[in-house]
Amino acid sequence: MPPAPSSPAAQPLPGDGDADGSGDPISESEALARLRQSDDQSHQYYAAWWLGRNRSRHPEAVPLLLAALRQRRPRDPLAGVEENAVARNAARALGKLGDSGAIAELLAALDDEDDGLREAAARSLGELGATEAVALLQRRLASGPAGAGATRPDSPRLQEPCEAMLEALGAIGVAGSDVIAVIEPFTGHERPLIRSAACRALLQLSGEPRWADPLVQLLDHPQLQVRRAALMDLGAVGWRPALEPICRTLAENSLKLIALRGLVEQGEHHGATIPTEAVLSAMDSLL
Amino acid sequence: MSVEMSTISEHIRAVQQAGSSQAMLTATSALASCDHGESANGEAIACLVEVLGFNNPGAAVAAVDGLIRLGPVAVQPILDSLDPRNYGARAWAVRALAGIGDVRGLELLEEALASDVGPSVRRAAACGLGSLQLQALAPQQHAAVRQRALAALLAGCRDGEWVVRYAVSVGLESLGLRLAPQPQEHEQLLAALAALGQPELEDTMVVRLRARLAHQRLLPMAPTEAQAEAQP
Repeated sequence: MPPAPSSPAAQPLPGDGDADGSGDPISESEALARLRQSDDQSHQYYAAWWLGRNRSRHPEAVPLLLAALRQRRPRDPLAGVEENAVARNAARALGKLGDSGAIAELLAALDDEDDGLREAAARSLGELGATEAVALLQRRLASGPAGAGATRPDSPRLQEPCEAMLEALGAIGVAGSDVIAVIEPFTGHERPLIRSAACRALLQLSGEPRWADPLVQLLDHPQLQVRRAALMDLGAVGWRPALEPICRTLAENSLKLIALRGLVEQGEHHGATIPTEAVLSAMDSLL
Repeated sequence: MSVEMSTISEHIRAVQQAGSSQAMLTATSALASCDHGESANGEAIACLVEVLGFNNPGAAVAAVDGLIRLGPVAVQPILDSLDPRNYGARAWAVRALAGIGDVRGLELLEEALASDVGPSVRRAAACGLGSLQLQALAPQQHAAVRQRALAALLAGCRDGEWVVRYAVSVGLESLGLRLAPQPQEHEQLLAALAALGQPELEDTMVVRLRARLAHQRLLPMAPTEAQAEAQP
């Protein structure tokens, strides 16, 4: 871990931030102790994040995170940091610890009424490659862009956390025609981030180049947030034919480097046309 | 006043009067890319250095590029401008100094790689430490600079961020190819890169691949005894 900033006014550069890392450096045993107590939920919140961020291998980490995931309750928007915030961080951490023993509880969280928790659970099930989650993810997305993908009347959020769910289906990698059929309609969603997630999943599942074209086009989108998402998505798929467009994209080098890392690590099957050394050389020039 | 000088003055005025972050970016890019010719324009350098402190990342990137183009003449103004209270400006200054490769920036690059909070700053420092320009120095000073750069990079192999360890691999390769290491230093370089290439010691695949590539490129470059004796 890099040392903490010397000045409290320190301003991280774009792409450098640990969004949740605003806390003092603590030890693993301190993190476990903070998660075990339940008087101070902001301590639990930070501890859950810490255990995931540091890929804790302590035997108590997964049981404590599962307990934190279970302590959720119906959402109370008036409360400050409530149990559900702790549960969401616990769900995120469980995805990073790679223990398949967490899958059953994460599946239950995928049906929770808190869409933020469903989002965290979907991402973690994707990270764990949980094939058990495919049927449930399909079911929650089956109503398509007009149902699951519709904007809520009371907030800018969608009915379902579609981006996370689509990405999870791509990461899990079950490429049945029924799965493809559920994902495909989202390539026409009105929001570019959802289209990007759908194309990413289809490219991962089918390997068909036609799903790469819309992603490459999104690298030119006027909004930085969309260009960043397309960079991450092409990186996650390891789509080496996008090497040149990625290097030209108007975005931080930090993000382009993450995308190119994906091209190296996930894109070995393109090695005959675009050798690993070419991608490494492009990375060198972005440092 | 020559045509070039008046153009530069206009660009400087445009930066000073920019009313939006987009206008600032456009004006800075224009100033950074104009041909400064023989006359090292102190006002242009001062203006680009000032932009580093404006909390405008797009303009700062353009200013860094411009300062790197200007080269060694920009080093002292950058060092003089360092403000410990403005982290952002300092981070961009590190990037500019890393790109210029002037040995006057050595201490700042060492410090940045060892303890800057931003991975993008540490990664730029690592690259800069491997590509310092020694030509301007007396030959007897080369060894001291090389040793310090090598020590900083070897410590950087333990950085917590993969992208910094990646940059350290690139820095070690460049130091090995360009700064004429002694046989013992060459061994240290190869050992550090071999460690970064091992899955038991390095968990990020792309870092392992880059370190192995650097190792492979440096292996045939082992200095002979004769070369070693010819050096101070």
